[in-house]
Amino acid sequence: MSLRPLFEWVHAFPSSIAMRESLYAFPVLLTLHLISLAMFAGLVVMMDLRLLGVAYRGTPFSEVQRRLFPWQMVGMVVTSIAGLLLFYMQPMRYFGKVLYWIKIALIVLAGVNALLFHFTTYRSIAKWDTAGPPLGAKVAGVLSLAMWAGIVSFGRLTAYDWWTYE
Amino acid sequence: MLPPDLLLPLFEWLDTLRIGDWISTSSYAAPLINVAHILALVVLFGSLLIVDVRLLGRGMTQQPVAKVARAARPWLIGALICMLLTGVPQVLSLPIREYYSPFFWMKMQLLLFTLIFTFTLRHKVTMADPARVGPVWGKVVGLVSIALWTWVAVEGRLIGLLS
Repeated sequence: MSLRPLFEWVHAFPSSIAMRESLYAFPVLLTLHLISLAMFAGLVVMMDLRLLGVAYRGTPFSEVQRRLFPWQMVGMVVTSIAGLLLFYMQPMRYFGKVLYWIKIALIVLAGVNALLFHFTTYRSIAKWDTAGPPLGAKVAGVLSLAMWAGIVSFGRLTAYDWWTYE
Repeated sequence: MLPPDLLLPLFEWLDTLRIGDWISTSSYAAPLINVAHILALVVLFGSLLIVDVRLLGRGMTQQPVAKVARAARPWLIGALICMLLTGVPQVLSLPIREYYSPFFWMKMQLLLFTLIFTFTLRHKVTMADPARVGPVWGKVVGLVSIALWTWVAVEGRLIGLLS
């Protein structure tokens, strides 16, 4: 079964067509998507650097995590809405783009990584909050940094027709 | 915002040097340099926001502003150096296009102003005794910092999109 008819169906929505025909929708949404992503991912990177013990060592990890979380969520909500609208206005542009689907898979994996960390390693936070983090925490931090770097890079590279099928 | 005419010979000269030819003739160099530029932007925004949010009286409020700013500083400066190292080749690869882009000139003038603001006023306010700064100035500087850097990034994105 192919998902292609579904994408073509969305592609033909009057509102999707109207957005494609607008001169402003694409540049405005893309700029909003990038700026809010930089804010969101930037604060995730700062938190991961603390988790790895290479930055903000004078602040307990739990405080960095708790205090940055609401700001990360604001950035994530804005960049996700802008991203979904970018997809909605050009579904056929992304349908055959391998790099786009790798990016989406990495977003899912980064979410799973964050949840796994939160419900396993983070439960023993009291034991390692001010001292060095355990191996599990460091692995989660490195994975998060690598996956977000991949998400940002592959997102930018969807602008080119590399690895794109009909 | 149009460029001063007297800089045109400089950009024409940069064009004749063909330093950036290896970038414009390769189909991979320009995209990959731009990806590196954006990865540095992410670190830059993180290192700015963690301090600006604290200046607004939010975020890591149990830590003094100066402590957060000092910890963020190497990441801020490192990110700025990476931005420069990945930004200059992008200008050298297409000097004439950049010269005629109003967004390029807007970005450069804003960037100059924002850098001066960041390393003078913002630096002073983050390092000063909070009792002397008072409750208002920190918030003003934090908001202005977020607004200015966002504006620089918007102009930068528009160079590629609309030039």
